[in-house]
Amino acid sequence: MARSARRSRDEWRRLFAIAALGVGDPDRGALAPPDFQREVLPLLADRCFRCHGPDEGARKRGLRLDTAEGARALLKSGRRAIVPGDLAASEMVRRITSEDDRRVMPPADFARPLAEGERDLLLRWIEGGADYATHWAFVAPHRAPLPAVLDAGWCRDPLDRYVLARLEADALAPAPEADRSTWLRRASLALTGLPPTLEELAAFRASTAADAFERETDRLLASSAYAERMAADWLDVARFADTFGYQSDWDCNTWPWRDWLIGAFQRDLPFDEFIVEQIAGDLLPGATRDQRLATAFNRLHRQTNEGGSIDEEFRQEHLADRVSTYATAFLGLTVECARCHDHKYDPIGQADFYRLGAFFGAIDEAGTYAYSTGAIPRPVLRLPNVEQEAELARRDAVVAEATALYEQAVVAARSSSRERIAALPALLVAPPVRHEPLDGGAPGPSGSATALAGDDGPTFGDLPPFRRCDPLSVRLAVLCPDVKARATILHTSSFTIESDQQGYQLLLEEGHLAWQVLHLWPGSAAAIRTLEPFPLARFVDVVATYDGSSRGGGLRLYFDGEPVATEIVRDHLDGAATVRTLQIGHRDRDVGLAGGVVDEWMLFDRALTEIEVAELHAPGAFAASREALQAAEISPARDELAVALDANVASAFALLRAARAAQQELLESLREVMVMEASDHPRPTFVLTRGAYDQPDRSRPLAPDAAIPALLAFDPTWTHDRLGLARWTISPQNPLPARVAVNRLFALCFGRGLVDTQENFGTQGARPSHPELLDTLAVDFVESGWRVKAMLKRLVLSATFRQSSVATATQLDRDPLNRQLGRGPSIRLSAEMMRDQALLAAGLLVERLGGPSVKPWQPPGLWEEAGATGAYQPDVGADAHRRGLYTFRKRTAPPPNLVLFDAGSREQCLARRQPTQTPLQQLVVWNDPVYFEAARALAQRVASEGVELDGQLVRAFERLASRAPTVAELESLRSLHESQRRALLADPAAAALLLPPEPGSAVDPAVAALVLCCSTLLASDAVMRVR
Amino acid sequence: MNRRHFLASSALALGRVALGSIVGAGKATAGTVSSQLPHFRPRAKRVIYLFQSGGPSHLETFDWKPRLREWNGQPLPDSVRRGQRLTGMSGNQSQLPLAGSFTDFHPHGRSGLMISDLLPHTAALADQLCVVRTMHTEAINHDPAITFFCTGHQQPGRASMGSWLSYGLGSLNEDLPAFIVLVSKDAPRDQPLYSRLWGSGFLSSEHGGVQFRAGAEPVLYLADPPGVSSQARRAMLDTLRQLDGEQQERTQDPAIAAQIAQAEMAFRMQTSIPEATATAGEPDEVFELYGEAARTPGTYAANCLLARRLVERGVRFVQLFHQGWDQHGSLPGGISHQCKTTDQASAALVTDLARRGLLEDTLVVWGGEFGRTAYCQGRMSGGDYGRDHHPRCFSIWMAGGGVKGGHAHGQTDELGYNVESDGVHVHDLHATMLHLLGIDHERLTHLFQGRYFRLTDVAGEVVHDLIA
Repeated sequence: MARSARRSRDEWRRLFAIAALGVGDPDRGALAPPDFQREVLPLLADRCFRCHGPDEGARKRGLRLDTAEGARALLKSGRRAIVPGDLAASEMVRRITSEDDRRVMPPADFARPLAEGERDLLLRWIEGGADYATHWAFVAPHRAPLPAVLDAGWCRDPLDRYVLARLEADALAPAPEADRSTWLRRASLALTGLPPTLEELAAFRASTAADAFERETDRLLASSAYAERMAADWLDVARFADTFGYQSDWDCNTWPWRDWLIGAFQRDLPFDEFIVEQIAGDLLPGATRDQRLATAFNRLHRQTNEGGSIDEEFRQEHLADRVSTYATAFLGLTVECARCHDHKYDPIGQADFYRLGAFFGAIDEAGTYAYSTGAIPRPVLRLPNVEQEAELARRDAVVAEATALYEQAVVAARSSSRERIAALPALLVAPPVRHEPLDGGAPGPSGSATALAGDDGPTFGDLPPFRRCDPLSVRLAVLCPDVKARATILHTSSFTIESDQQGYQLLLEEGHLAWQVLHLWPGSAAAIRTLEPFPLARFVDVVATYDGSSRGGGLRLYFDGEPVATEIVRDHLDGAATVRTLQIGHRDRDVGLAGGVVDEWMLFDRALTEIEVAELHAPGAFAASREALQAAEISPARDELAVALDANVASAFALLRAARAAQQELLESLREVMVMEASDHPRPTFVLTRGAYDQPDRSRPLAPDAAIPALLAFDPTWTHDRLGLARWTISPQNPLPARVAVNRLFALCFGRGLVDTQENFGTQGARPSHPELLDTLAVDFVESGWRVKAMLKRLVLSATFRQSSVATATQLDRDPLNRQLGRGPSIRLSAEMMRDQALLAAGLLVERLGGPSVKPWQPPGLWEEAGATGAYQPDVGADAHRRGLYTFRKRTAPPPNLVLFDAGSREQCLARRQPTQTPLQQLVVWNDPVYFEAARALAQRVASEGVELDGQLVRAFERLASRAPTVAELESLRSLHESQRRALLADPAAAALLLPPEPGSAVDPAVAALVLCCSTLLASDAVMRVR
Repeated sequence: MNRRHFLASSALALGRVALGSIVGAGKATAGTVSSQLPHFRPRAKRVIYLFQSGGPSHLETFDWKPRLREWNGQPLPDSVRRGQRLTGMSGNQSQLPLAGSFTDFHPHGRSGLMISDLLPHTAALADQLCVVRTMHTEAINHDPAITFFCTGHQQPGRASMGSWLSYGLGSLNEDLPAFIVLVSKDAPRDQPLYSRLWGSGFLSSEHGGVQFRAGAEPVLYLADPPGVSSQARRAMLDTLRQLDGEQQERTQDPAIAAQIAQAEMAFRMQTSIPEATATAGEPDEVFELYGEAARTPGTYAANCLLARRLVERGVRFVQLFHQGWDQHGSLPGGISHQCKTTDQASAALVTDLARRGLLEDTLVVWGGEFGRTAYCQGRMSGGDYGRDHHPRCFSIWMAGGGVKGGHAHGQTDELGYNVESDGVHVHDLHATMLHLLGIDHERLTHLFQGRYFRLTDVAGEVVHDLIA
């Protein structure tokens, strides 16, 4: 350090210029070999890896430069790209220095040729031994030794030592400490997203307590506003929105997850648990409702219900989005590239991408959401409130009791089945509740039948209503001419896309007959399918029965009076199976039974028994088999009939059905939110060739048994599911999540992370400005139990954070972007903060925690212009003035006053907002009625506080900027006020428009002019930024 | 370069970075990459894109297929379909009957371009049109397809065509945004439009399209609140300058100068935008040219006229959107109506630009996100039929801006189902448009999340045959 301090100013400048810009110096002989990670790897990655990197498919000439082995290997040409220390023997040297367009590397037509300095750097690296080192972020962090500093007294937290050491090494001094008001504004906005109130400012300024800063910090961290602020930040990462996105962009009702998020921050859920619960809360032993709700994180991606959409295409989009969001949110990696090919820069193979997809794809979901039924995509979590929960428990108990009584009655009826059959003179099958002969031009079992072309056919309205607690049977004679991959025989739903199937239906699937009662396919259905193919080219008397149990086991199929063997395909019916129109042999946009013939459709309001079905098929069958039935020692068919005929069973079933109806009615009225839930029917996962959904590479099946092996191997004790992935993620050996998390917290306080590219810690991302500090904070974070509040407290209490943000000329010159942290942060407020601040200062902000998203005023017509959705109905009253994080986010028409301030549309994961400055932002602050309303309310507020004009202006200023105006600032405002007061005195109509008076009273031009002063303040730097 | 020079130039570069975020829609700045642009001599300086949203049928507009009429009602041969995917809307039909066009085509101009009778005004310009009959795309549904067309990728998050131009070339004026979007209000709202179609994606938001809307407030939040006169606004702005000037003196932050510049620009826009959008003062002959509908703000015709006024004032990219081309059923009636609403004004715009000397460096593009199937969706009844989405071939036209006139590019098969020769992928069209503007599409890139992105993703070839 002593030596450093002796370096001349010019020497420092030269070194700085080289380090900052990565450009070599002409007298390179004097310099040490370049740093591989900081200087060489980014260059190789950017210019070489596209053809000579990790992507095997894109690799040219068998050369890879991302590993030392590859770079030094003997190539087919007989040469080696790199011979360490030997420029003359290294083919790479010849290529990068070649003047020949046919030989030069990167190729002559490459968009980013090597600059002279860059070429120089590579030469020095090869000359110096061509050392390879693993990319810094892929090595687990270690706590760095505390550096020695000259001015140890300046430091308040160990983190300050790392900052100061670097400043001192560069002969820069930290900025002086900011005044208390500045710190409080900074800390309040960083931790709560709101500025301090006048009272908070005054109290803090006056405090003489030794621990005044700590107390303030604790107060801020304990507030609800803190949790809201943290949630608002994470909502971008989670791409949270209130609508599905894509074409129709309907409401997706995911706000309960947002409230989970607020709660998680409020109770300071350790960040490792925060990660685990969002990835796999449902798989935790004894998962609570909250832990299951957390997993909605993985369902917040967009979904479509556009007609014609192909289910698997969009299911693959869901998986890709989940994988990409997971990787960016928790690993700080951009893995999307690996969807089509191995990652060109980072060690993430295409197989890794799809293997991650296997973790997230093991739920029973559809690729599209319902267009006509309103069914919420499965799997869902139901969210009863306290009263509903109690009522549900009561109704569950009633069902349990009714079930027990019913089962007793069944047992009793069975025990006397032989006697009952003996006493039965003849079997009379109760007639169907609906019978359509389907007479048409074709011959059929009953004489005339209906031939089907596939695109149309019989359609019947006014169906008897159906609840899933109602048993039923369907009978239809069906002739199928050939093997059908899919064909609709009979259904009760309308159909725009697959997710619209509802009610009950008979389908042919791969030649087999399927019988389903369903709310939403496949996540909410009871379904069976025949083991044998459906007979072809002859009429089959098909009977399908359902016993009202909502279970796959409650479904049966009979061909020609005989039961057929089936398998249960789905056993998870948990929602209303509402029937609409019944159609036979066709369905709009679906495949019909082309070339088929159907006859005699019947609907029964009970589940027919085996003996009844046989009797229906061949009248007299019962009489013929009665003796055998009586004689048999055991006969399930006989028992079944006896049960069906038993009056006690019938009355017990009536009670059970009523109990189920009451239970289901309540259940189906509950709020449902999409979550993750392991499926019994995981779909096989394959690498998709070039990422195309319809080109799975079946030679490469994948199981969820590893994450990204190049980062960290999968421990054998971890389960092969999302919980295993979560364990892998939070493993202390995993080099990324703790770094990514502390970097994010750092950016919350300082406006930018130690790693600037919060979304990318890979080789193409930015290098940390303070690598040792980042690693030390990451280790501290893990060792302290991943405590978010504690880490934030350290950050805002640090000497680094307390510095004034005013830059000296030297700093502006040498470190214009404040990468060295030699002064305090200066940050433009986020879209939400800006609006919340204005409302708070005006006394309008309604601080109510959580609940459904709200619709504050926005310019009319925007939703209508976006098309295909209803009109935006602005909320009035309290909900017009809630904090910005609660504003309803419609993905295809996001709120313009937030988007104009870079808030994004939430269509995909956004790890970092990039603030811009545009004229449209000024127009928002000047003219958005919300801001002008705030200006008006603030003017009235300060005007009513019994102070003179100067006092009013000072109070308005201070409420918005957390400091008193300077003499000059006050003078400017006073002069604006004076000129406008006079103008408004002469133009009372304008004054009345500015400040609509109470009926019968006049407008005070002084207050009206004050409105203009407040509006001006809202657009000023002192208000729009925290400094 | 010696050390002193090096430091001086890097200080300058840093200054430019700081300034870069200043003048959003002002001159080309370091916020754009325009210092290296154009890559070569541009043929066009600006673009007007007449986006026909919903997928106009090529078979009733620019791609004459007599064989389709001959084979009307016959099933689509498997040899033509080649197992390609269909949408879920017609893909399950038991039959796919071919549907001949209900409308006639005639040759027009010296070039003899075959154009449908539904587009008489456009047909009259045949010798100025460069028709591409072999456009093809990857997406088969509206949302992915229109997102693909407007941003070069099916999934959201990429930057739109106009924002790439703003980023690459900057603005040509000081008072208006570089990229302006106009949506017809006289179109059937059959398929929605999304702000992402003109969004800036990963580019800085200053490059995003600004939608001008018909009515009192052409741009959101443009009008001062009731009771705030323009004199008051000026006084407020002067005070704002003083306050921010104070702040700048205290903090030495160059971002404040940028903020002041933005405020001044906003103030100018409050005047320049109402002036630019005040079409009522145009002479009667202009309304005769564009059609009477042009007198009603917000119509397609009015937007065509407004587009001309905007490019006259130096707007780089104007994109119109006109919905209603999604004729799954009742196509003859539907497309006739669409053509009637748009034909005259589209042609008028080209004519108007030409007579003002603007056409030669203004590229006009007309087209939708995909075409429509040669077969009928649903049942054919009488003369009525519908067509489903069709990404494998469709037609667009261009005019001005360095493209050939009276030219038809590419050949589709006799049923208008597949490209026979000289296909033009959406990426190719983008590459060609950028080429006309002097930009090498492979070199206009933006580093985001560790990857260099470009409008043409990883593909695209300039179609030199289109260029005059």
